[in-house]
Amino acid sequence: MPNRRLVRGGGFVERTILGTVSLLKETVSVERIAVRKGFLQHRDARFKCLAAALLLCAVLISKSVAELSVLYTAIICLALASSIGLLYFLERTMLFIPIFSLFIVIPAIFNAVTPGEPLVSFKLFAWDLSITRQGVDSAIIFFMRVLDSVSVAVLLVLTTRQQVLLRTLRVFRVPQLFVMTMGMSYRYIFLLLDVIQKTFVAIKSRVGYVSSTKQGRSLVASHMAGLWLRSYRLHSQVYDAMLARGYSGEAFVLDEFSARAADIVLLLIALSALIGTLWLNPFFR
Amino acid sequence: MAQPVFSLSGASFSYPGGIPALNDITLSFNGGERAAIIGANGTGKSTLLMLLDGLMFADKGTVCAFGKDLTEKFMRDPLVQREFRRRVGFVFQNPEVQLFCPTVREDVVFGPLQLGVDHRTIRLRLDAIADKMRISHLLDRSPHQLSIGEKKKAAIASMLIMEPEVLLLDEPTAGLDPQTTRDIIEVLDQAHSAGKTVVMATHDLHIVEDIADVVHVFGSERTVIRSGSAEEILADNPFLQANNLVHIHVHRHLNVKHTHPHDHGHTHGRDISSFR
Repeated sequence: MPNRRLVRGGGFVERTILGTVSLLKETVSVERIAVRKGFLQHRDARFKCLAAALLLCAVLISKSVAELSVLYTAIICLALASSIGLLYFLERTMLFIPIFSLFIVIPAIFNAVTPGEPLVSFKLFAWDLSITRQGVDSAIIFFMRVLDSVSVAVLLVLTTRQQVLLRTLRVFRVPQLFVMTMGMSYRYIFLLLDVIQKTFVAIKSRVGYVSSTKQGRSLVASHMAGLWLRSYRLHSQVYDAMLARGYSGEAFVLDEFSARAADIVLLLIALSALIGTLWLNPFFR
Repeated sequence: MAQPVFSLSGASFSYPGGIPALNDITLSFNGGERAAIIGANGTGKSTLLMLLDGLMFADKGTVCAFGKDLTEKFMRDPLVQREFRRRVGFVFQNPEVQLFCPTVREDVVFGPLQLGVDHRTIRLRLDAIADKMRISHLLDRSPHQLSIGEKKKAAIASMLIMEPEVLLLDEPTAGLDPQTTRDIIEVLDQAHSAGKTVVMATHDLHIVEDIADVVHVFGSERTVIRSGSAEEILADNPFLQANNLVHIHVHRHLNVKHTHPHDHGHTHGRDISSFR
């Protein structure tokens, strides 16, 4: 008779398989967006990164909800122009980090943290508490800053292929060894995920549903050494493959970037956003 | 007479822990030759190719490449290393090992970039090789998104783009569909016609006649047990059976149990009269 708790909860093995599969699916869906025909997908990655950095600066220095809302609207427009569905984009930018930051900022709305003009007052045990206008303003600004920053980062990642994004790091003088190591890690994550997935399917085919968290952990622990040995062997084989093609300690790469007029326009838009924010800031003191 | 590109004399090699991999190998490969190394699993074919590519070094005996002793000390010289890599290309058995860059394009151009070939020449070679191997549409994909056949083709392209004089290939057609196998054989044939030396380890006997003039058979003692022409060795069925390179088929034609040696010329028709 199967253990009902184990079947109902789904075992460690099942969750690991589902986790690896969903990561692979997510990566594939992101890659699909990055190769769509859209405004940002066609822009040179170097200009996109610079534009993203300028927009992030604009977000960080902005001092009002109005400025941040305009920036957010501009980001949404860019997402739509890049063939990214609104719901898909909001799902990835609104959840988790912004909502989590909203919870963090809740104490700041009270007079105990941010004194000011009370909007609502109430008594909690022995304390007289009130929600202040200044507290609410600073909480909204904080939330909007996080939302805008996350949206800029997500937009950049969604519209740029991972390998191109890595290559762009070279332009910004990140050492080649670091970029290459990151690229190889990204490449082999999928191979190791595949190994993990196959290993767990093989375990499941033999142990069936009997896979409580405890049993799952014990299985994983016993297979970790095997996985480590496999990755160690893979590492020495990859090094041999690099040597066989002339690697001698420093890797050389072919940089292929091409800038167009539209890339400069994108950069100018981002620069205008930054200058505009700087110019508008004194009006919101 | 063609000069030997590689020659081995009494070469032996053991993996750490004393696990023997090659035992007293005496062999040579001539320039412009097409050679196949055949043998059952674990007979040392891959290890031999690693020795020929200067990735591992013999414990005993000598391995010479282009008339020079291929020792660890000799290969430590960066100029020697670069010249050797320019002249000898290697395709690993597992394409996952060979395709380590984030995209196929970066993987294919990795070799010539390390060898200092100028970027314009690399771009021209890349276009030509991608066209030849029919992988142009795969260049911007990540290797993990490719099928096994596409990976093999990309791995071979990453070696051919270096334009080496000697092509070392470890099981280049293992596990591939007939069309991809045929494509790879064609490419290797073209390379041989262009004067390249091709040395290939395989146990796909049905392709050996197409890809090799000379065959070296490795036995369970991890040494060369026979060398000869492809025709002569492939015709010796008892020898191939004794060395675990072919097997006896046992199967049924309707209700009649039938055995015959492994032979790709044999067809399984509905006419069973000859077996009765």
